[in-house]
Amino acid sequence: MEAQTLATNLEQREITVRVKRFNEDKGEFWSEYKLSVDRFTQITEVLRRIKTEQDPTLAYRASCHMAVCGSCSMKINGEPRLACKTLALDVVKKFNTDVITLEPMDYFKPLKDLIVDMGDFYTRMFKVKPRLYPAEEVVKGVAEQRLKPEDQRELWKFAQCIWCGLCVSACPAVKEDERFLGPAAHAKGYRFLADPRDTLYEERLKILLDSSWRCTYCYQCFHVCPRDVEPVTTIKKTRAHTKFSKEKTDVMSTGERHVKAIYESIKETGILQEAKVYISTYGLATAITDMLHTMRNGKMKYALIREKKVNEIEQIRKLLGD
Amino acid sequence: MDKLHYDAVVLGGGLAGLMAAHEIATAGFKVAVVSKVFPTRSHSSSAEGGIAAYVPGNSDPNDDPDYMTYDTVKGGDYLVDQDAAELLSVKSGEIVDLMERWGTLFNRQPDGRVALRYFGGQTYPRTRFVGDKTGMALLHTLFERVSGLDVDFYNEWFAVDLVTDERRVTGVLALDMKNMDPAFFKARAVVAATGGMGMLYAHTTNAYINTGDGYGMALRAGAAIKDPEFVQFHPTALYPSDILISEAARGEGGILRNNKGERFMAKYAPKKLDLAPRDIASRSIMIEIREGRGFPGGYVGLDLTHLGESYIKERLALAYEAAMNFAGVDATKEPIPVRPAQHYYMGGIDVDTNGINTDLQGLFAAGEAACVSVHGANRLGSNSLLETLVFGRETGKTVVEYLRKHEEVSSPSLDKEAERLLSEAYSFVKSESGVHFGEVLNKLRGVMWDKVGIFRDEDMLKSALTEIEKLRGQVREMYVTDKGKTYNTEFYNALELRNMLDLAVVIAKSALMRTESRGAHFRTDFPERDDKNWLKHTLAYLKGNQVEIGFKPVRMTKWKPEARVY
Ligand SMILES: Cc1cc2nc3c(=O)[nH]c(=O)nc-3n(C[C@H](O)[C@H](O)[C@H](O)COP(=O)(O)OP(=O)(O)OC[C@H]3O[C@@H](n4cnc5c(N)ncnc54)[C@H](O)[C@@H]3O)c2cc1C
Ligand code: SF4
Ligand code: SF4
Ligand code: FES
Repeated sequence: MEAQTLATNLEQREITVRVKRFNEDKGEFWSEYKLSVDRFTQITEVLRRIKTEQDPTLAYRASCHMAVCGSCSMKINGEPRLACKTLALDVVKKFNTDVITLEPMDYFKPLKDLIVDMGDFYTRMFKVKPRLYPAEEVVKGVAEQRLKPEDQRELWKFAQCIWCGLCVSACPAVKEDERFLGPAAHAKGYRFLADPRDTLYEERLKILLDSSWRCTYCYQCFHVCPRDVEPVTTIKKTRAHTKFSKEKTDVMSTGERHVKAIYESIKETGILQEAKVYISTYGLATAITDMLHTMRNGKMKYALIREKKVNEIEQIRKLLGD
Repeated sequence: MDKLHYDAVVLGGGLAGLMAAHEIATAGFKVAVVSKVFPTRSHSSSAEGGIAAYVPGNSDPNDDPDYMTYDTVKGGDYLVDQDAAELLSVKSGEIVDLMERWGTLFNRQPDGRVALRYFGGQTYPRTRFVGDKTGMALLHTLFERVSGLDVDFYNEWFAVDLVTDERRVTGVLALDMKNMDPAFFKARAVVAATGGMGMLYAHTTNAYINTGDGYGMALRAGAAIKDPEFVQFHPTALYPSDILISEAARGEGGILRNNKGERFMAKYAPKKLDLAPRDIASRSIMIEIREGRGFPGGYVGLDLTHLGESYIKERLALAYEAAMNFAGVDATKEPIPVRPAQHYYMGGIDVDTNGINTDLQGLFAAGEAACVSVHGANRLGSNSLLETLVFGRETGKTVVEYLRKHEEVSSPSLDKEAERLLSEAYSFVKSESGVHFGEVLNKLRGVMWDKVGIFRDEDMLKSALTEIEKLRGQVREMYVTDKGKTYNTEFYNALELRNMLDLAVVIAKSALMRTESRGAHFRTDFPERDDKNWLKHTLAYLKGNQVEIGFKPVRMTKWKPEARVY
C-alpha cells in the first residue's frame, strides 16, 4: 500500500554543495562539501550538517526552519530562495545536476559567507511607518474596531511579509533608483494604507505614491516571494490612489505616460503586452540595461513577456545576439 | 569594554520580551532589548494554531474564566499554580483586545468581530487565530508597535552572562555578533525572555536558535529552574524536518499507521484511537518505532488518503502544504511521514505571577524562559502565546514598580566581574586544540532524545547523567576553529552549547528524582501519578558541578486533584 512508497523512496544520494564564501581576511572564495541527502532534506539541514560535521566556520542565518522567520534567504543555483523552503533533491532534479550552488543574496553587502548586511532592507521598511495608527478612542479602549472578513482576508495577504529581503535583492528598480522604496516596503505600506482602521492616510500617500511610480513592473518580486505577498500588486493598488493626491511629482507624470501606454497597448491587441509598455515608457536604452540585468538573474522570461508582436523585442534580441 | 547604561535590559525580542519592553518604555524608563536575531525572526513567529482567550461578549455564552482556569489546571495534571492560571484566564480577553487594537489581523466573524475556534482540552471554544500563522501575525504587530517607541534595539547581539554582585543582578554581558565587540549593559533590572530550548533534543519542532540560553545564564548566576523535568513532546512532527503537523490532522480523521499499514492506535487507546491525548499518542508511536514497526529512519505514517483530495485541501490545507513543501509528499496520495518531537518546555526560571525571581534581586523572567507555573506538567495548546503576552505585560509592570523604588548600585568590582565572564567566554576562541562544538552538540541531542525523552527510567537517567557530565567536562576544552570577528557563528554556537549542557544536567537530575509519572514526565518504572509524595514543584540549582534540588508547594485555590481522563 501507500506505506510502501514511503519506504522505498528513502534512498540516499550524494550531492556536492559549492558555497560562495567571504570574509575580511581571505575576501571571496569557494568551498566544496560532499554529503548524502534523501528526498526530505532541506537546504537549511544541509547547512546545519556541514557546520556541525564538516566545517564549523561556515556562516549562515537560519531560525524557524518552516519559512516564517525570513532568516535563510540566499541564492540557490542562481535563484533567490529561502533555504528552508528548498529541498536539496528538488534542486538536483530541476537543474539536472548533483551540484548545488549556494551564494549570498544579490544587492546586499556580504559580511561573512552567506550572511549579508540587511541594514538597507530594514531602513526601507521603517520609512513606511510600518504600524497601525488607530483612532484615539480605539487606543483608549472606548471604541471597538470591527473589520469585515473580506477586508481581513485582503489585508492579511499583504501583511504576510516575513522581511526576508528576497524581493529587494531581485528588484532591478531598487538598484537603479535610490528614491524607490522597494517591493517589500510597498507591500507593508499598502497593508496599512488600505487598512480601514488606520488614520494616517494622507501621510502614507506622501510616502508611497511617488515611489510607486518608480517600479518597472518586471514582476521579479512576484516570482521570488516565498509567502506570495505579491508586492507588485500592492504597488499597482497604491498607484490607483494617485487621483486622491493633490501634488504630482515628475515621476508620477511619467507614470501617467505609462498608463497611457498600457491603454494603447490594450487597444491595439486586446492583450496587455508588458514588455512593450515598458519600452514605450522608459525608452529602448533603459529597457536593454534592465533586461541585461534580469537576464543575468536567469529571469529573462519574465522581462520578455510572451507576446511576439512587439517589434522592439526583436530588436533587443538582435542587440543581445540572441 | 564598553559600558552602556539602562534602567532595564530585556533579553529577547520574542512576544514576551517585546511586551515587557513596551510596558517599561511607556512608563518613561530607558530600556534596551537585546536579541541574538532580528526580533521578527524569534521563535514566536512559528506558532500556528492560535491564542486562547475568554472575551466577555465574544465567547460561548456558557463559558467563563473559571472554566478556562479549570481546563488549564487539569491539562497541566495539577502541577499548575492555580492563582497564576486564574490570572491568565482573567487577563486573556484584555490581551487579545489590545493586540487587535494594535493592528493584528485576527480572522473575523461575519459581523466583523474576532472569530474563535476549538483547541484540544478546551471545554468551550476560545482560540483566536490569524490563519495558520498566529504567532507570526502577533509578533510582527508587537514589533511594529514597539519599534515606534523609545526603545533601543540591540539586534544580533548575543547575551553571554548575567553580571551579579551578591545575590543581585546588575546587568548583562553581551557581544555584538557583527564584530564581536563586548559591552557591559549596566541596568537595575534584567528581564530574561530568551524563549525555549528545543535544540537540546535530536528531534524538535523548535527553531535552530532555541538553545535555552536564558536557563543557562540564570543557573550560572545562581537562580533556580523550576520543574525542569517537564518537557512536552508533540506526536506528529513531519519527518525529518520536524515541522509541526497540527493536531487538526488527527481531529479531521487522519489515521496513524505503522510499516505494516496497521492502525496501531487501536492497540494503545481502543476508545479514543487516533484522537488520544498528545502524551499517549507520542508514547505509542515511539513503541511502534522501537519494536521495528516504523519506517527506516524512524517514523510512522499519518494517513489522510482515505479522506479524499477535496476534503484534505479544504479542511487540512496547512498539513497538506507542509507535507508538500517540506517533505515533498502529496498527502492526498501517500501518508505523511511523522514522528514525535520535542515541542515545548514547561520548566523555566522560577518566578511568581509578577515575574519576580526571588533568588537574585533585579532578575525577572517571562515567556517560555520563565516558569510561572501556568502550564504545570503539560501545556495546553494556545496557552503559551497567551502566557507570553499576559505575563510579559505583568512582568513589565512589575519592573516599572521596581525601578521606581530601587537606585542604581555601582562598584568597580562589577566591571571586574564583567571582565572575568568575558575572558571565560573568550577562552573558547583562544584555545588551540580540543573538541569542536558540533561533535558534542550532536552527541548531547542524541543522549537527551534517547534517555531523557518520552520514556524515562532510573537506569536510562543515570546513564544520561554520566554522559552529560562527560560532555560538560569536554566543553571546558572547547576549541573554536574560526578566529574571525565578523559573524563568528561557530563561537556563538559554542556558547550556546555551554548553556545547553548546564540545563541538560539539571533536567536529567530532576527527572531522576521525580519517581512518579505526571503529564509529560513519564517514568516506566513509576507509571502512576503520586499526589501524596509528588504534588510539588521541583526547584533546581546548579552549584559548580553539583545539581541541588529543593521543592516548593503547588498553590491551589479551588480545584482539588482528580484523575486526568478525557
Ligand atoms: C511549531 C510551534 C508551534 C506553536 N504553536 C503555538 C500555538 O499555536 N499557540 C501557542 O500558544 N503556543 C504555540 N507554540 C509555543 C509558543 O510559540 C512559544 O512558547 C512562544 O512563542 C515563546 O515566546 P517567547 O517570547 O517566550 O520566546 P521566543 O519567541 O522564543 O523569543 C526568544 C528571544 O530571546 C532571544 N534570545 C535567546 N537567547 C539569547 C541570547 N543568548 N542573547 C540574546 N538574545 C537571546 C531570541 O533572539 C528571541 O528574540 C508553538 C511552538 C512551536 C514550536
Ligand atoms: S515589479 Fe517593481 S517592485 Fe517588483 S521587482 Fe520589479 S521593479 Fe521591483
Ligand atoms: S515581500 Fe515577500 S520576498 Fe519581499 S521581504 Fe516580504 S516575504 Fe520576503
Ligand atoms: S529558517 Fe526561517 S525562513 Fe528559513
